Amino acid sequence: MHAILTLILNDLRVFFSQRSNLIGLFVMPVLFTLVLGWSLGRGDSGPSRLRVDLIDLDQTDMSARLIDELRAANDALLLCPLDNDADDICGLDGATSQQAGIVAPSNSEDEPLHRERAIERARQGRTRALIVVPEGYATALKTFQSVSIEYYSLSDPMVPDSILQSLQAVLQRVNSASMTTGVAGALLDNFVHATGLTVIDAETRNQFLGELYLRAQQKLTEQPASVRFITTNAEDANAGPENGFSQSVPGMGSMYVMFTVLGGMAALLRERRQWTLQRLITLPLARAQILGSKIGAYFVRGMIQYFIVFAVGAAVGMNFGRDPLALLTIMSAFVLCITALTFALAPWITSEGQANGVLLLLSLSLAPLGGAWWPLEIVPELMQTIGHLSPVAWAMDGFHDLIFFNGGFGDILPELGVLLGAAAVLFVIGIRSFKYE
Amino acid sequence: MQAMVQTQNLRKTYKHADGTSIEAVKGVDLEIHQGEIFSLLGPNGAGKTTTISMISGLLTPTTGDAVIGGYSITKQPLEAKRLMGFVPQEIALYPELSARQNLLFFGKMYAMGGKALNQRVDELLEFIDLADRQNNRIDTFSGGMKRRVNIAVGLLHRPQLIYMDEPTVGIDPQSRRRILDTVKQLRDEYGMTVLYTTHLMEEAQELSDRVGIMDHGAIIAMGTQGELTQQVGEEDRLEFTIGAQTVTDELIERIQNKATAVTRVLYNPPEQLSEEGSESTPARLIAFAKRGRTALPLIIQILDAAGIEIQSVAVREPDLEAVFLALTGRALRD
Ligand SMILES: Nc1ncnc2c1ncn2[C@@H]1O[C@H](COP(=O)(O)OP(=O)(O)OP(=O)(O)O)[C@@H](O)[C@H]1O
Ligand SMILES: [Mg+2]
Repeated sequence: MHAILTLILNDLRVFFSQRSNLIGLFVMPVLFTLVLGWSLGRGDSGPSRLRVDLIDLDQTDMSARLIDELRAANDALLLCPLDNDADDICGLDGATSQQAGIVAPSNSEDEPLHRERAIERARQGRTRALIVVPEGYATALKTFQSVSIEYYSLSDPMVPDSILQSLQAVLQRVNSASMTTGVAGALLDNFVHATGLTVIDAETRNQFLGELYLRAQQKLTEQPASVRFITTNAEDANAGPENGFSQSVPGMGSMYVMFTVLGGMAALLRERRQWTLQRLITLPLARAQILGSKIGAYFVRGMIQYFIVFAVGAAVGMNFGRDPLALLTIMSAFVLCITALTFALAPWITSEGQANGVLLLLSLSLAPLGGAWWPLEIVPELMQTIGHLSPVAWAMDGFHDLIFFNGGFGDILPELGVLLGAAAVLFVIGIRSFKYE
Repeated sequence: MQAMVQTQNLRKTYKHADGTSIEAVKGVDLEIHQGEIFSLLGPNGAGKTTTISMISGLLTPTTGDAVIGGYSITKQPLEAKRLMGFVPQEIALYPELSARQNLLFFGKMYAMGGKALNQRVDELLEFIDLADRQNNRIDTFSGGMKRRVNIAVGLLHRPQLIYMDEPTVGIDPQSRRRILDTVKQLRDEYGMTVLYTTHLMEEAQELSDRVGIMDHGAIIAMGTQGELTQQVGEEDRLEFTIGAQTVTDELIERIQNKATAVTRVLYNPPEQLSEEGSESTPARLIAFAKRGRTALPLIIQILDAAGIEIQSVAVREPDLEAVFLALTGRALRD
């Protein structure tokens, strides 16, 4: 064991004394993580928006007003299918806003999103939440009855959720306004009764009350500083840089882990060319010690790479979720999987040029395929399925569970299983075919 | 005398990617005695490195085994490896690390440490005369300096036995001289057993107590230098470097018959060393004779008469080169 540690330390010392490695380890990853993080976090397109499904079963002016209010309250919200565009930003497979109609007349046949599908989307984390405005919403408000808006989300109800907060703020205003109207309507009716005046015709009465609602609404929008404070606060945290970085940090981290660890293929060849590997074999060391130390050394390089990129995340104030141990575990599983891949490929590679070719090919295909460059949620379902051939996709799923959805160990078990299973198979191949001669 | 290294029927077959295979070592039986310098002498590609790699545990023999100080290299590799130091033909050092860092690291791999290791490293740096450059990176060293560090690594754990695979390749004559002196010092002052490989007859001649001559993967002769040269008799060797004119069999026969003291004549035609033909070795005519100096004028006369240009002539007493020539019909060349 002591010998293995000495070997790993020596390997790292050699690694760090090559300047080109430092550029690959620090400069490029930090640069790309920052650039990608900022560009994803800015603007109102792209994955920085919070995708929320909204089903309006009421289809009245009142419900339309609620939706407008919601949009105004939190401009990071991407309400689907209403806000869908030609690129299918909602991920609805071709159901664009033209088909959906911005304020579509009640026509359930053409509805691109049924409740079941929307619930499933929320459950899979493809949307951040689902809001269902029930039928009879407007009537209920007008007649001063209670009505509930349904809200589905994976996020922990105990943790502040900016979408829910926006919704609650809007509802509070709507309710207050409608309560004013309701109280005024009741007073009006009582007053008419009591004074024995001629009954006002229904249309005039409704017009009066509608006007009253609007005024109350306006006043409340201008006034409720306390509510707005909460909302803006939540907006800042989510629409700010963090959103971009919670994609770019795990994404670039995983891609550069591939670069760094798969670099081991060339490093092994170099050690053979330099004869330092052969020298090790003539020392009184067991072969398992030599191979174990190489595996250990490449694993440590990978972990160092993750730490560097995650340090960038920490520096920009990114939120790492609630379970750092689970985060460390998913990192380790991915690094182990890539280390195993390195040793499984190494025996087939005969030159350092070839090793670098394979390294580039694998990293630059598996990383975007697996969602390291952009979230897999925004690509068509078929591509998401294909993407899961890449270990990066499983790692990214794990990171999303932990970082976006504030998950814990239980949520990443499937991802851990896949990554560790793949690592085991690849290690068997790699260790069996490792060339000592 | 006790055997430090003993091999039995060592063979190694390399398999190439295209399916063909080459038998690089074809059943070598060696015995290296304790405290001697044993040289393995042979041309490029003879199989010296392959042999040394098998008896150091780097390559697994296709068949056969080697016993090092009583331990089988295939069955008790760790015990056997502890007894030996290894100086590979290549500079097996980490170029990014300093001389001292390299020595410290390999020392730790021999389970040395602490003060004892530091002292040993100081001692070796002194021994190879690089104490003043010890903290410089290996990649800033000259070829000769690298070679010296390469040797020092093999000596770290004070082994009884050391393998040195062509340790003087590619360095200047001065550095070569130092290394040869070091090798003798290891035997004479420290009582070490040395296995030394080379393709240079002069080195084998200067150093060795015993020599194994290797060609095409086999040991073709083995013994003390006296024993070996006796095999070719007391004959002198006359070496003529000649022009590109054709040498006919009839001419060779004429030399053999007319110059009475001559027992044997060999002709080495010019040989192209590189594909483009820019480099080539000149043609050589070699004659073995009981009393070389008396045969010399006669041969020159015959060559002159045949119109063959003589560029140089050398008369050599019996040596290892002669043995190699006698056994293979070829010269040991760089
Ligand atoms: N790894 C290998 N794979 C295939 N063939 C090899 C390998 N190593 C050596 N050979 C072949 O085996 C033969 C013996 O090589 P070896 O290196 O043992 O010779 P050598 O006597 O050390 O030569 P040199 O003086 O050039 O070092 C050569 O024909 C060489 O081409
Ligand atoms: Mg060799």
